[in-house]
Amino acid sequence: MAWELATFSADLFREPEAIEGVEVELVTPGSPVRVTHVLDAVEPRIRPDGRAAFPSEGQAGEGRTNRLDGVVILSCLDFPGEERPLHEQESIVDLGGPGAALTPFADMTAVVLTFSPGAGGHVEIDAHARETTLSVAEEVARGTLDAEPHEVERFELGVADESLPAIAALIQISDLGPLYIQYVYGTPAGEAGLPRAVDPAEILDGAVTCGEYHWAAMRNPTWFFQRNELIRTLYRQHGKTLRFAGAVLMRGYEQSAADKQRAADGAADVARDLGAQGVVITTDAGGNSHTDVMLTCRACEQAGIRTTVVLAEETDPQSTRPILTDWVREADSIVSTGNVEELVEAWSPERVLGGDLLLDGTPAREAGPIPVRNYLGAANQMGQLALSARTE
Amino acid sequence: MKAVHYLNQFFAGLGGEEQAETQPTRLDGAVGPGRGLQAELVDVEIVATLACGDDYFAEHEEEALAALLELLAELRPDVLVAGPAFGSGRYGYACARLAAAAAERGIPSVAAMHEDNPGVGEAGAAYVVPTAVNVAGMRDALPRLGALASALASRRELGAADEEGYLVRGFRRNYVAEKTGAARAVELLLAKLAGETRTEVAGDMDRVEPPPAVADLSSALVALVTEAGCVPQGNPDHLQSVRAQGWFRYDLGGADTLASGRYESVHGGFDVTLANEDPNRLVPLDTVRGLERAGRVGRVHEALYTTTGNGTPVVVATKFGQEIAGELRDAGVQAVLLSGT
Repeated sequence: MAWELATFSADLFREPEAIEGVEVELVTPGSPVRVTHVLDAVEPRIRPDGRAAFPSEGQAGEGRTNRLDGVVILSCLDFPGEERPLHEQESIVDLGGPGAALTPFADMTAVVLTFSPGAGGHVEIDAHARETTLSVAEEVARGTLDAEPHEVERFELGVADESLPAIAALIQISDLGPLYIQYVYGTPAGEAGLPRAVDPAEILDGAVTCGEYHWAAMRNPTWFFQRNELIRTLYRQHGKTLRFAGAVLMRGYEQSAADKQRAADGAADVARDLGAQGVVITTDAGGNSHTDVMLTCRACEQAGIRTTVVLAEETDPQSTRPILTDWVREADSIVSTGNVEELVEAWSPERVLGGDLLLDGTPAREAGPIPVRNYLGAANQMGQLALSARTE
Repeated sequence: MKAVHYLNQFFAGLGGEEQAETQPTRLDGAVGPGRGLQAELVDVEIVATLACGDDYFAEHEEEALAALLELLAELRPDVLVAGPAFGSGRYGYACARLAAAAAERGIPSVAAMHEDNPGVGEAGAAYVVPTAVNVAGMRDALPRLGALASALASRRELGAADEEGYLVRGFRRNYVAEKTGAARAVELLLAKLAGETRTEVAGDMDRVEPPPAVADLSSALVALVTEAGCVPQGNPDHLQSVRAQGWFRYDLGGADTLASGRYESVHGGFDVTLANEDPNRLVPLDTVRGLERAGRVGRVHEALYTTTGNGTPVVVATKFGQEIAGELRDAGVQAVLLSGT
């Protein structure tokens, strides 16, 4: 199966019309702006064949999809302070200042959507915000429908030399409950029949979307799936240094020890069915999802599949050794996506969007040094960015 | 850009051991090994040399440091270079302590000495360039010291220790790698499949060896400890739901059960709905009391220890654990039922 991704210039950007309960702000690249309470980041996409760019049925990753280059939709929402089991954490995107080095969005035009929560509980408010954000991402890309792309990439896995090692991407996505959920075709990861193999192009084409608002730095916003560097790297290397054996989606935050082990064994089984000799295992969020990743690593190694794990560190800045939440002996090949405990130099933005006060009540304009963990996707554990940590 | 160079009395040409009591002194320009160092600096000039006797520094460290830092504050250098001290312990110590203090005050600082010099451990956030054990290594040391000092003065972001030629200080620091994490992961995996396993994080968990099993639980004092955020209803002490700042001790008062009207969980890392229907699901007091009545557990410790384990830095969690374990040991507790979430 082949999928084409056609890229169009930001000149075709269409400003979204007024939406009830949403404030829309456009921010030009490099502006001294801090965006707070960021839920998700989405690349503008639309399909010329009229199918949904973020489908809840059918299959993504076939035919053609248009993308608008250099534009990102950032959705922001401060949930009302009602009783709820899981709480979102502060999530910041700095489009200027030192924090700009921690995001891929600083040199883009940002369409910042700030939602005013209406009636209903956090589940309804979140569902409305996610749906609106994805529909704005389609609307903003509509101008591409009557234009010529300046680049078309074709994603298709042809026959590759059998002597090359077969590599799969094993991608963990979260489902811990409302506000901590990633979605597969609009269905919470926990109800999406995971683990299962998917065509890697599905992941690049809007099959996975983000509704996970735990530690910001360790989140994987929708944009990181649409532009997934791991999947793209494996496509690029297919037939050169490796054979891309496919992608497996698995759930993190299984709730019982038995379910965690079952999920790990299941993911290893799917990887083996794909014929993988090696897997890169990625992580979403922190805490007990790190146990899921370690169990998965062990299960794969025990099944004879070599592993490299992608993880963020949670090392105290005064510590002289790296600190991980969990570790197994089989995890002997780990990529560090940086230390979320390190502080980012203070910066006073000229403007704040999303909300003037951080969730802890600090004014966002004079917040002082902010830990990496509050920067959206900064230490994301799919390896989307280049942040890392080392011993100095 | 300006450098200030620190030397002991001997290298500053003030005299040998007999001058080791020399108090902090400022000399103009480069002196002694500073002349050789000057030749290795790029766009950096040694504007002054500070000298101090090794004995004076060792015996009057506070005064010596204060005087040297005052001189540094006047000179406002872009970089401080100290040594090389080679294998000399007292000289190495003075170099390291001054470099560490200057680095703390925002002056980029580098000392040079042999890697076994006790001063290495005193350099704090300053850099240490390794040298030979004695002065015969001067010719080899100065170019490397000069290169690092020039880099520090230019405020260039330094690379890894082995690339830049300084001793590993041991701190984990974020940096932006040349390639994305994804590209590095694929490289590491291909290398591993080819027989060469590498890692960016050495897995090195703090594994605690369990003590021998309790010989007879029926005579043991058993405590309940939890990180489930389980507190008296209303959370009177304001235990945090995330990144807890402390732990609390609550008297069970002989209660048979953790009644839902009296206890709740404020943990912010999981859905507490089911836990709050019956807090014994977090801390099984009801079951343990049953075992106590049946004579299978000697006695239940009447203090419940609780905190929230959610996003807590490991160093903080380790401290909580040590504090709680200390109290339990002092109370004669022999076994703990530690419930995690």
